[in-house]
Amino acid sequence: MDSSASVGSPLAVQTSGLTKRYPLAWKRKVLVALDHLDLEVRPGEVFGLLGPNGSGKSTTLKLLLGLIVPSEGEARVFGLPTDSLEARQRVGFLPENPYFYSFLNGDETLRFYGRLCGVNGSKLEKRIEELIDLVGLQNGRERPLRSYSKGMLQRIGLAQALIHDPDLLFLDEPTAGVDPLGSSQIRDLILRLKKMGKTVIFSSHLLEQVQEVADRVAIFSLGKKVLEGSLDSLLTEDRGTQVHLPAQLSPDLQQRLRQVLAGAGFAERDISFTRPRLSLEQLYLRTVQSQPDLASNDSRSK
Amino acid sequence: MISSLLRIIAIGRNTFTEAIRSKVLSVLLIFALVLVGCSVLVSQLATPGLDPAGLIDEQIKFVKDFGCGAIGLFGAAIGILATAQLIPQELHNRTIYTILSKPVRRSEFLLGKFFGIVLLLTLCVTLMTLAFAAALYWQEQQGVAYADSIYGQTKNWQADQGLLEHYNHDVAEIHAQVRDPRLVEAILLLFTKLIMTCGIALLISTFASSSIFTIVTTLMIYLIGHMEGTARTFWLSHGAETNLWQSCLVGFISLFIPDLNAFTIVDEILAGNNVPWHHTFDLIGYAVVYLVVLLSVAIVVFDYREI
Repeated sequence: MDSSASVGSPLAVQTSGLTKRYPLAWKRKVLVALDHLDLEVRPGEVFGLLGPNGSGKSTTLKLLLGLIVPSEGEARVFGLPTDSLEARQRVGFLPENPYFYSFLNGDETLRFYGRLCGVNGSKLEKRIEELIDLVGLQNGRERPLRSYSKGMLQRIGLAQALIHDPDLLFLDEPTAGVDPLGSSQIRDLILRLKKMGKTVIFSSHLLEQVQEVADRVAIFSLGKKVLEGSLDSLLTEDRGTQVHLPAQLSPDLQQRLRQVLAGAGFAERDISFTRPRLSLEQLYLRTVQSQPDLASNDSRSK
Repeated sequence: MISSLLRIIAIGRNTFTEAIRSKVLSVLLIFALVLVGCSVLVSQLATPGLDPAGLIDEQIKFVKDFGCGAIGLFGAAIGILATAQLIPQELHNRTIYTILSKPVRRSEFLLGKFFGIVLLLTLCVTLMTLAFAAALYWQEQQGVAYADSIYGQTKNWQADQGLLEHYNHDVAEIHAQVRDPRLVEAILLLFTKLIMTCGIALLISTFASSSIFTIVTTLMIYLIGHMEGTARTFWLSHGAETNLWQSCLVGFISLFIPDLNAFTIVDEILAGNNVPWHHTFDLIGYAVVYLVVLLSVAIVVFDYREI
């Protein structure tokens, strides 16, 4: 499916009053897993679902995939009912902690999922080649999935989600349990998908990663969406200004700047000069990626 | 329609591959093959002292009983075990999400899984039948050699027209018993019964929460199914004389539990009695209708199941 097809098409995802309740018969209570969710995601967006465990993120994804039936409300994908085959033809899904069929190898796995999506013959084989390249699993093609590392499983999971070239991807905790390097590769992959014009909706606990890839986020708590917006609008502080310079300021220059700012009415205690710091993740990635033999789990031949 | 069929075949092939790569099922199958093959050794324990033809008869009959018994028993064990794991394993491993999030209907998923089990049972029954045929062939050769040795005790017996006729009759009898085309009928009926049992297991697994529950319930229905004929006869003839509960229970068994006892005509075939083919086709027809109902109910139940 051509990614340009999504331009000018209906919203990638639209829900109104979407609710899921689970009756707890033995307690004579009802658990509201998702409470009247109104959500709109535009084609081409990367949308992050945030929230603690049990806040309704996975329930939202299952409802959008038509895997479970809503108790109330409605959800549509590209204007189609979520449980229709047409909608599923345009959607790919990576579940949380996927296991897949451990007795299949990488190629067999992709071949199986491809056939389910109606991709067959030389078209399927070509697609498998492309996806193996995309997710960097050349050394895992002939190995059974039971011998895969967690990061490799996530990558084959992404490949199976993309096998039919969907316009919309749902990724449930795509980096859960994956080491920082694997996690950063998945993040890079999401950015590549965005460049390809795909819409990506994903849930994650790793806030820094969400910040790096998402255009917009929604924060869930106890089954309700409590905040939604673009990262720029949500994270930009109006009370302050940061100045970045490509060199250290000498004490003399700092003193002169303080005088200028004090002259403009700023109190001495409100002015600070700090040196930029790397995050621990940035330091880790920079160190690990500089080691060619450790750059990929796949590079070890077993 | 064709794309739907292709998806069912893809899921069936995957289920079949999973089953044949499973260690438990492979070990069970190997054990079954060895057991069927060993039937010729156990048959040697048949009571000695009978006349030659009688002894050979006993041994061939033993191999037939033992072989068909092993096919039925191990086929049921492999089929029930494999079917009971189908859905719980998919749910536990969350692989079901990756399948049902693709353009696949739940009914296609279920039918594909069942198709995989049918493929598995076809392979298992074929292999066990080949082992059974090999055992019978070996027994046939043993029988002819035994007849040769018995008749050989008389000098120049081949010149004796009476003895020669006797010998030819005995050998023809051995060939007729071993190469009995009715054995195909027996294997076909055993296979039909296995598929029916797996259909029951599949229906139960659509609402069961564990494989153990499916296995135990299927075995219970399997046992009750062998008494269904008795229950139906009792219900029809003495229904009015029983209390409400008894009547409901016996009526339920008569209406909903399959009549697996009808398949005991396999014993008739093995005993050498003639069972007309139309009787076999009637039973296969009964099984097909029952399977269609079972699978339809399973699809409806599975459609409503929260995953």
